[in-house]
Amino acid sequence: MATVLETRGVSKRFGGLLAVNDVDLRVEEGEIFAMIGPNGAGKTTMFNMIAGLYKPTSGQILFRGKSIYPIREFWRNYTPLLAGYYTVADRARRGLGFGPMPLALRPHAVTTLGIARTFQNIRLFSFMSVLENVMVGEHCRMHAQVYDSLLRTRRAVSEERRVEERARDLLKFVGLERYAEEYARNLPYGHQRRLEIARALASGPRLLMLDEPAAGFNPQEKAELIQLIQQIRSQGITIFLIEHDMKLVMQISQRIVVLDYGEKIAEGPPEQVRNDPRVVEAYLGKSA
Amino acid sequence: MTTKAQPPPPPRPRSRSPIGRLRQLGSGWLRTFMRAKRAPYIVLLIILILFPFIDTNQGHIDVAQDAGRWILLALGLNIVVGYAGLLDLGYAAFFAIGSYAYAMLASGQFNLHVPFWILLVASAFVAALFGVILGAPTLRLRGDYLAIVTLGFGEIVPRVFRNSSKYTGGVNGIVGVDQPSLPHVLGFPGYKFLFNPVPYYYVILTVLVVSILLIVNLRNSRLGRAWMAIREDEVAAASTGINTVTTKLLAFAMGASFSGFAGTYYTAKLFLVTPESFSFIVSVTVLIMIVLGGMGNIVGVIVGSLIIYFLISYVLVQLPGWLTSLQASVNLPFLNNVDLGAFAQNSKYLIFGIILVAIMLLRPQGLIPSAQRKVELELGIQEEAVADLRGSA
Repeated sequence: MATVLETRGVSKRFGGLLAVNDVDLRVEEGEIFAMIGPNGAGKTTMFNMIAGLYKPTSGQILFRGKSIYPIREFWRNYTPLLAGYYTVADRARRGLGFGPMPLALRPHAVTTLGIARTFQNIRLFSFMSVLENVMVGEHCRMHAQVYDSLLRTRRAVSEERRVEERARDLLKFVGLERYAEEYARNLPYGHQRRLEIARALASGPRLLMLDEPAAGFNPQEKAELIQLIQQIRSQGITIFLIEHDMKLVMQISQRIVVLDYGEKIAEGPPEQVRNDPRVVEAYLGKSA
Repeated sequence: MTTKAQPPPPPRPRSRSPIGRLRQLGSGWLRTFMRAKRAPYIVLLIILILFPFIDTNQGHIDVAQDAGRWILLALGLNIVVGYAGLLDLGYAAFFAIGSYAYAMLASGQFNLHVPFWILLVASAFVAALFGVILGAPTLRLRGDYLAIVTLGFGEIVPRVFRNSSKYTGGVNGIVGVDQPSLPHVLGFPGYKFLFNPVPYYYVILTVLVVSILLIVNLRNSRLGRAWMAIREDEVAAASTGINTVTTKLLAFAMGASFSGFAGTYYTAKLFLVTPESFSFIVSVTVLIMIVLGGMGNIVGVIVGSLIIYFLISYVLVQLPGWLTSLQASVNLPFLNNVDLGAFAQNSKYLIFGIILVAIMLLRPQGLIPSAQRKVELELGIQEEAVADLRGSA
């Protein structure tokens, strides 16, 4: 199995606080990989670094073997004779330009590469319709230029049609097709979470990062979510999730990593992690 | 599935899927415009085309064309503020750039006489370029901070024009700018605009119609959706794959290009340009127009522009006279020593301000709000959503 996402010695420091300390992760293609840990363990910080919202203080993040944050490779990238980590074909396909790669990719470029995410506190475009929310998700797959948008060219119109169809299919997939014209903010909480997943899927990701997708769900909604996640995975999309619900995590993930105070304290299949003394200690405190 | 357990959503007040309705129609934006739903607009357009024949009073037509210029400015600012949510208090700067672009390239200043028709389009590009240049430093800013920086640019640009007198004529501006004319080609005798407002009226009407069509197209496009996503939540927009830098710069450029049109037109109509025409009050007036009319809604913006224009150019001008004659007819002894007319004359902007406060208290969502703002204000979500919008503004 190929590695989709790899972090090497990633650390993040906010002033005096070391939020993430030297974390190595490997997410393999096609698996459901979970990250757990007590509150404040640095899980969301980790997500934000992978998604390009934060730059790591040190370390590297590699997506499908290529660096998202070519920090150590800075000089290599900025030296014309050394080609850098992106091949010419890759740059052309991804629309990344042919100059030296920036020190860190910005969030939209990370999404364009094939990493989509949802947020812990839902961040939808509240005053846009459900359908438009998903269509925005397809932004990075669209090709309409400014003049296409201005003049409503044939190309733009046919693309709009395709994108809208795809968006409706995605809404059907997550079970929200009836709400397509509704404002995102009018949806009930559970549907908003689903819509966020649909929006993330719209960018055509290889890796989907879910930040506490089951927060605030009742058991039935959790069961539906598990079903949805497994359906997404069966389409060949790798899933990397943060979740507090141990039952859900143990049930669906192939491998689990545990963070505590920004450090990786355990990694492995669910049964191994469950019995790891350090994990038990992090969650329940040291026994007397 | 919980989906099944939910009651069906309530009927929407207005179809929110223009794209959905458009998609059966194939391409061709002209056909889009000619749809049956547009019938009232087409009737209105025909009336506007016939207006100079119905009303032959040149004064009225002059007023109409000036109102058209304000509408064009408001439509441009609506892209920046209403769609992309970037609060721009220095919009007059782009208006000034458009005006000076025409004045410098079509006058005796440098002895250049580029035709009006070319510059009408070219100065839109010049203004767009400056939109990008002035927009670039503001990209990291949001809300109040963005407003302050744009306010600064709004002050800098007219001042630069005033102080570089070698090129711009300084305080006196550039006088004797070329008048537009139709060239004599293919047997057509040619036509000079001179002081007749009617041809100007048709120019601004054409520019407006084209601008509105373009803006409607933008609203329902990839770019328009990206703007609105940035307005709603910039972090989420970036994580969804929208390049926030280029998208925001495009909003500035597009907004500026419409004021470039307006600037060229304004200068050509007046035959002169002075730095005094682009003071802060112009930026604020345009902003008031779109806030009053309903941000993000094209019809609302147009109605708002017309009302504010009417207030400024008619009500406030006539008010001193009205008050004086009222005073004379009422003839109250204690009023005899007070010159109400002079008071109204001197405190024009005080009265303007009071009217605005009253309108906003009575209708905070604007006269014809875009669907978004309406829901936001009526459902009373209040702090949270408003703060969200402000945060992304």
